[in-house]
Amino acid sequence: MEILMEAFRSLGKDKVRTFLSMLGIVIGVIAVIVAIAIGAGTTKNVTARISSLGSNVIIVTPGFSGGFGGRTAAALTNVLQETDVQNIQNMAPDVADVTPILQKSFNVIYQATNTVVSVFGAYPDAFSILDLPIQYGRLITTKDEQNYANVAVIGNTIATTLFGNQNPVGQTVYITTGSFQVPFTIIGELQETGSKLTFNPDNMLMIPYTTASVKLIQLNGGVSQILASAKSANTALDAASEINNILYMRLQNANQYRLISQNQILSTVSQTTDVLTLLLASIAAISMVVGGIGIMNIMLVSVTERTKEIGVKMAMGATRRRIMAEFLVESMFITIVAGAIGIGFSFLIAMIVTYLASGLGLTVIITWPSIVLSFGVSVAIGLFFGLYPAYMASKKSPVEALRYE
Amino acid sequence: MALLELRNVKKIYDMGRDIQVEALKGVSFSIEEGSYTAIMGHSGSGKSTLLQIMGCLDRATDGDIIINGTAVKNMNDFQLARFRNKTIGFVFQSFNLIGNLSALENIELPMIYAGVPRVERRKRAMELLRIVGLEEPEERGHHRPNQLSGGQQQRVAIARALANDPAVILADEPTGNLAVNQWRRILDIFKKLNESGKTIIIVTHDPLVGEEATRTITLEDGSIVNDERTR
Repeated sequence: MEILMEAFRSLGKDKVRTFLSMLGIVIGVIAVIVAIAIGAGTTKNVTARISSLGSNVIIVTPGFSGGFGGRTAAALTNVLQETDVQNIQNMAPDVADVTPILQKSFNVIYQATNTVVSVFGAYPDAFSILDLPIQYGRLITTKDEQNYANVAVIGNTIATTLFGNQNPVGQTVYITTGSFQVPFTIIGELQETGSKLTFNPDNMLMIPYTTASVKLIQLNGGVSQILASAKSANTALDAASEINNILYMRLQNANQYRLISQNQILSTVSQTTDVLTLLLASIAAISMVVGGIGIMNIMLVSVTERTKEIGVKMAMGATRRRIMAEFLVESMFITIVAGAIGIGFSFLIAMIVTYLASGLGLTVIITWPSIVLSFGVSVAIGLFFGLYPAYMASKKSPVEALRYE
Repeated sequence: MALLELRNVKKIYDMGRDIQVEALKGVSFSIEEGSYTAIMGHSGSGKSTLLQIMGCLDRATDGDIIINGTAVKNMNDFQLARFRNKTIGFVFQSFNLIGNLSALENIELPMIYAGVPRVERRKRAMELLRIVGLEEPEERGHHRPNQLSGGQQQRVAIARALANDPAVILADEPTGNLAVNQWRRILDIFKKLNESGKTIIIVTHDPLVGEEATRTITLEDGSIVNDERTR
């Protein structure tokens, strides 16, 4: 107790110096907490976006080939076939719905307006798999599918681009393919959904699969992607491995296709963001170490300055252990207070960052572990970097220390 | 029985490059309990070295030192610190009060090291301030050293030396930094302490200070040249 009071006194004697020596740790603690908070916020944002896909959705895309010696890897075409979709439907017990997808960008014209749109040909099941709610009109039906109907459901953003505030249902748009213009009647408009992982329904024009394969996107029985849903989120892993088995049986090469599911992406993403957060936090931690070295410097100066005092205390019967403890308590006092101030300020900084970056969609979430960690590290730094000066103090010879002026 | 006994104490300082300075060349004497001794000598006579060795701040190169029935020679640093704390009270020429502690806290310092409880410490410190005759101790006791005069500081320092009721008070030129009027008061305090039974050793080069003592040991060039009882 007396040691604490004494530490408080001697630190209070030179407030500016004490404050400056605290500064390094304060900044370090703020940096660590805010870095981890930004990491946590980003992880949460990304996770939310990935989760928008739905936990039971599985996407199959062609694999890539090439990509060695500086060449860009090219997506394989004609790997996935309509027959795969049939096989999945028949042989994968945990798959609820499955649809082939034909996807390609086309120029779409409405009256004087034209824009590039991603045309998306799929079974009607696609709407339920991707959970796409309708805003106006109706969705594509099996009947449209059987009739090779020239009907389309339009995404929210495209609808605004082409039709403004007008209701697009019943209007006709023209999709340009080669020198032909194929007319499509808009039968429905989707609600705004935001991006769904690899798809952005707001920017899509959805048409029956049959219509797409015959009139717009001829891939000779090949499909762009396969979209499937598991019967429940719990069986998503089983469903994915069933699909994998079916594809592998035919292709005999796991590199020719890729399975994307929310869980798998989430784990990849969390690994990536974890690494990023760790990187940010370690850079921030370096500033704490630098702060610690600053404290060691100050403490060494303080030990030299107070040589006489140390001598007097030794003459009065202070043991070496006691002298060491006095200086250690001082350096730890500095870092503990600095750590606390840093934690306080990091909340303030987090608020400021959130305010300034609100437009960027940057979220800052201060987490308990980061507070505990940075506080623990500052205490440890006080101990570690205080140890050497305290040891130097305790090793002084009483005679020489008393003689020091 | 002798309170403090030195037997053939030598101190050799190794200055490097094979240069050795013999500060004490085999000093022997004993000091009785309740005595008042002045150790006199010019600067360089070895009297400061002697004080350091008697005060257990430094170790003798050779010889035995027995204080209060305890041989100091084989003690480790920790034991020496404890021993200083309980047995020896130091008074320095330049007072050496800790600047950021109040007068009372300075006096409490040796008691803190001895583990005396807070309330008892404060009570004893106050009592000691009265013994050394500090004016208005309730108020001045809370002053920092730089708010006190030299004479007041030295009285606080004497009070601090008395804190753990040590067997011997070792004073190193205690009047060296004081004005004449203060000088007298400090010597009176030592005299009074001695009369109440404290063993006092004053190291000084000033014959006037030496006159106060009942015994004067004179050092010259590391050896005792004179040892006389003046009263």
